[in-house]
Amino acid sequence: MLLAPKNFLTIVVCSLYGLFVGSIPGLSATLAASLLVPFTFFMDPLPALCSIVSMSAMAIFAGDIPAALIRIPGTPSSAAYTYDSYALTRQGKSQLVLGTDIMFSAVGGLMGAVVLMTSAPLLAEVAMNFSTFEYFWLAALGLSATVMVSAGSQAKGAIAMCLGLFLSTIGVDITLGYPRFTFDNVDLLNGVSFIPAMIGVFGISEIMRNVSQRQMDFAIAKVKTKGIFTGVGKLFKKYQWNMWRSGAIGTIIGVLPGAGADIAAWIAYAASKRASKEKELYGKGSIEAIVDSGTANNACLAGDWVPALVFGIPGDSITAVVIGVIFMKGLRPGPMIFEQHPEIIYGVYFAFILANLLLVPFGWLAVKASSQMLRVPKNILIPIILMFAITGAFAINNDVFDIITLGVLGIVGYFMERNGYPVAPIVLGLVLGPILEQNFMMSMIKTDWNLILFFTRPISMLLGGITVAMWGFPFLMAFLENTKKKNNGLV
Amino acid sequence: MGKKDYIGGVIFICLGIFIWVLSFQFPVLPDKHPGPSLFPRVLGTLFIFFSLIVILEGWRKSKTPPPPPAEDEGGNVIITGKENYFNPVLVIILIGAFIALARYLGFIITGGAVLFILMWKLHVKPLKSFIISAIVICFIYSVFAKILRVPLPQGFLWW
Repeated sequence: MLLAPKNFLTIVVCSLYGLFVGSIPGLSATLAASLLVPFTFFMDPLPALCSIVSMSAMAIFAGDIPAALIRIPGTPSSAAYTYDSYALTRQGKSQLVLGTDIMFSAVGGLMGAVVLMTSAPLLAEVAMNFSTFEYFWLAALGLSATVMVSAGSQAKGAIAMCLGLFLSTIGVDITLGYPRFTFDNVDLLNGVSFIPAMIGVFGISEIMRNVSQRQMDFAIAKVKTKGIFTGVGKLFKKYQWNMWRSGAIGTIIGVLPGAGADIAAWIAYAASKRASKEKELYGKGSIEAIVDSGTANNACLAGDWVPALVFGIPGDSITAVVIGVIFMKGLRPGPMIFEQHPEIIYGVYFAFILANLLLVPFGWLAVKASSQMLRVPKNILIPIILMFAITGAFAINNDVFDIITLGVLGIVGYFMERNGYPVAPIVLGLVLGPILEQNFMMSMIKTDWNLILFFTRPISMLLGGITVAMWGFPFLMAFLENTKKKNNGLV
Repeated sequence: MGKKDYIGGVIFICLGIFIWVLSFQFPVLPDKHPGPSLFPRVLGTLFIFFSLIVILEGWRKSKTPPPPPAEDEGGNVIITGKENYFNPVLVIILIGAFIALARYLGFIITGGAVLFILMWKLHVKPLKSFIISAIVICFIYSVFAKILRVPLPQGFLWW
């Protein structure tokens, strides 16, 4: 089914799209996913999901190209090893860096796909026993993890999450059908439309950030692609333990709700440096760092799909988009999707394998074309992206109100990012808000408002315990740090 | 960031209070338990709580000395370029203009104008901007209106 000409063509086109967007600094894989959604609206469910799989696998790899050539990561996932990649390029080893990026990204992606294929059905069986209590805690856990892994201030991450949750409350309430925060506006009765909101938060804010920069072109030298894979085989032999370790790290980080490929790359980088015999090379041109982080960030992608498919809880901002697409297609993510639509689940598995196999030839082509891709003037590209964003937002409901949503949330996202507030929790809050509220209210009504039942069922207790511990962790760390400072002062 | 944290914190505290005030208008469940108002009130409280933390963080930051300017590999101070504040505003104006005018002028003229103006303001030469805008808008129109059958605004020219 996946190899049917139409589906295969969709995968190929989306792969090329992912390579292009990923290799342009300033344009993220999440932006690429959000701009793809209006097109998935017109596709069948399987090609719609496969298009996001192939696009994201390619975009995460492609972010390595500008990191190596101009010291600007194409996507945040490549930021961890940008200095190493660029330092090696300056030493005349650009071919080795890019060859390593391609091969280890593909291997990492395949490792993540294997974990998705094996763990998701097992977890789905466990999830069949879940009730509203467990789903409430899962949503709370996903939101908490998103806040905990926020770059910078966690309080700002929490505010962004609250904003997403608040947006999800706009519209008709689920318990009494009462319109909340609609201000007698008919357009708001159905709530804030997810797709325009997402394109606004990720896309318009990124466009506004890009147009505010004075420097929009990049100076880049031509890259030799001959013999790009020479020496990579030796790296596989030398760093096979690194590859397995980072593949595992990436996948585990992916499975954790809320944490994405960029965090996986940073953690794999830190683990690699700690275990390395050549610690002094890190940051100055370590191929080992590239092997580890490059494997981890692509392995994370498939891991992110595990909580998204099994529980309907996004693993990162891209899978938040995926959940939106699944709902848009009239499906419901969760354990039942494994029984009711196995063809879609198997299709996604094989899309991951196919995309990571295609990554090798397509990656080689992307490296070959990188000089040209990086020369595409951003001052032409940005207006085109804006027009696609406007048209895409309109196309979902054929409603001008969606363009207003796009613009308003674009402004909100832009100002929040400028002031150090992460924007991904807004989207996760918007996706998880209804799940959180609906499961909480249903649980409360069926137990006659007895909160204790949230902590008496074994899995519910475990999930609740983890969530509460997660919220207590920053306060505990602050307390320990203060105690340490006081003790040092006394000494 | 200290001053910005104060402003951001105050804005979100106001939002939290606003949510609380509006939630009093929501009905309660027959057994007097909170219904539609429960979740917004929790959110309002969280907004106020986390905003106070942000303000506290800003206050702490304002007490620490600012970091030294960034240096490149040669030890020279990096001077970052000034930002352009007009262009982000222009993006929003263009989105607003599209919303207001597309139903009268149609998708092709309005969208083409949005593309042309933004490219031109981003220093693409006028003729080049015009040609690229015309090609791109026709492409987008073909994809959405002809292939995906989206009823794009047609305006008085039926485009």
